[in-house]
Amino acid sequence: MAPDALVSVAIVDGPLPEPDAWRPVDAGAIVVFEGVVRPREAGRRLAALWYEDYEPMTRQELEKLAEEVFDARVLLGLRLEHSRGRVPVGGCSFRLRIASEHRQAALLATAELIDRMKQHVPLWKRPEWLDADPADEVESDPCRTR
Amino acid sequence: MRVTVRLFGPQARLAGRRQLVVELVGDAPTAGDVRAELGRVEPRLTPSLAHSRLAINYSFASDAQRILAEDELALIGMLGGG
Repeated sequence: MAPDALVSVAIVDGPLPEPDAWRPVDAGAIVVFEGVVRPREAGRRLAALWYEDYEPMTRQELEKLAEEVFDARVLLGLRLEHSRGRVPVGGCSFRLRIASEHRQAALLATAELIDRMKQHVPLWKRPEWLDADPADEVESDPCRTR
Repeated sequence: MRVTVRLFGPQARLAGRRQLVVELVGDAPTAGDVRAELGRVEPRLTPSLAHSRLAINYSFASDAQRILAEDELALIGMLGGG
């Protein structure tokens, strides 16, 4: 990730590391959103989530989306990081940092980008359950079962 | 023309495989033809196809876009990032 880029996108293997210091010049608001793997899903205990991407399309679509939101909302900086592979419970799998002069632009941009990402960017996740269920075998990765 | 379509996520699990081979007829097959044929080759994908798009060479394609034999094709649907 280029330290001085106004917009940057990174795809990282495994959980995201702690963020570096980032405070763009002229920023009056910095919104930080972190997506964390929660311990339960639909009443079952999770061990981890597995994230699958499709390179280079995933990165291209993330960059395109980040640039569009950056331009539309008149922001001062945007940093997006997403995991691929295994992220255990408690791990951070997605981090979005948006800087703007005033808070409203950054808050609106955060919500817009996340909504659009979930609809359009090729990223998939699969649960790894802590308590195994025979039915999970059917749902497992076809590359592992064939 | 015979083409291979890559599958991901829940759709790969539904189909039980990471790619499907489909046979296209006609001189100028389109992305829409591929999506229709995917439902015929693998009926378990049919309910999800209405909410899926085809990517040609790593870009989303309209149903009218032409397919060439050397194109990289992928079915993009049932997303869940973030």
